[in-house]
Amino acid sequence: MAAAAAAPAAEKSTKDRLLSVLDDLEVLSRELIEMLALSRNQKLPQPGEDTQILELLVQRDREFQDLMEVAQQQGKVHQEMQLLEKEVEKRDSDIQQLQKQLKEAEHILATAVYQAKEKLKSIDKARKGSISSEEIIKYAHRISASNAVCAPLNWVPGDPRRPYPTDLEMRSGMLGHMANLPTNGVNGHLPGDALAAGRLPDVLTPHYPWQSSDVPVGMLPPHHGNDFGLEPPGHNKENEDDVEAMSTDSSSSSSDSD
Amino acid sequence: ATEEQARNRFQSELEFVQCLANPNYLNFLAQRGFLRERPFINYLKYLLYWKEPEYAKFLKYPHCLHMLELLQYEHFRKELVNAQCTKFIDEQQLLHWQHYSRKRTRLQQALAEQQQPQQQPPPHGNAAAK
Repeated sequence: MAAAAAAPAAEKSTKDRLLSVLDDLEVLSRELIEMLALSRNQKLPQPGEDTQILELLVQRDREFQDLMEVAQQQGKVHQEMQLLEKEVEKRDSDIQQLQKQLKEAEHILATAVYQAKEKLKSIDKARKGSISSEEIIKYAHRISASNAVCAPLNWVPGDPRRPYPTDLEMRSGMLGHMANLPTNGVNGHLPGDALAAGRLPDVLTPHYPWQSSDVPVGMLPPHHGNDFGLEPPGHNKENEDDVEAMSTDSSSSSSDSD
Repeated sequence: ATEEQARNRFQSELEFVQCLANPNYLNFLAQRGFLRERPFINYLKYLLYWKEPEYAKFLKYPHCLHMLELLQYEHFRKELVNAQCTKFIDEQQLLHWQHYSRKRTRLQQALAEQQQPQQQPPPHGNAAAK
């Protein structure tokens, strides 16, 4: 019945040990009392038994006291543990709180950074598109004074002026002269147009301001191979299937496409 | 390419792109089948460089840029064969062109009407008021 001192596989808890000691005490004290009761009537069958029992009793009591001290110690330790657990909980909640705040801050900063980047983008864009006000005014004057974008105030139907180059202008330009129009052809003339072909004398070559004479040397059109038959990178918009729905009265022959 | 050639090319492309502002010319091109030819379509796409400010500043007829954008679409090119279609475009273009003139005329009329009542009451005989 002695409590094992070494580290057994299943060590009894203090409570169990206390209870077993108490049981022992109970048994021993009962035996003692029985013996005392018997000894009134008859002699002890075994001479040393009473002292033996007493010794055991004392021993058990000592054990009991020891175990009680152990129990007290354990109680203190347990209390400390509880305190520490509470601390840990507190720290945990602190950390969670900080985590939340950190997340919020990160979110706010991310938003701010994003908006700043957007702003930078639009600044860049604006800078790219910046044109001197003088040029804009010059251009505005150019397209307005010639009534190219705004009709003249005294315009009435019948006025030949248009927001686009008329037949006359087209033929008197460089392209018109390059085309070498045959005299019988009415290539540029279309129904509804007031100026019929053939009325324009070749001598008359007014220089219309829609051709530019002040082209800077560096102003080259973007490079292109002479063969536009090759498919350029990227597709034409609206790649619908070619539905031949239109009816033309002229046969589509490949004339000079210039 | 010599400088002369470059200049000529610039000039001819400048003229041609502006011709596209003329709906009658577009009808002309469509009816002769130019708008169906692949090289021509590619050329139209190439001409989009006139939208850049450094080139656009040479344009006298900016309507052409809008037409050029529309010409990138096959559906638009197909419709241009129809003379009624181009006539409609022409009419709308003219109306748009007249928009600001009409607006200004209306404004001037409104202004003139406003000023008339002020001249109705006869002066109180005191020229010092002026």
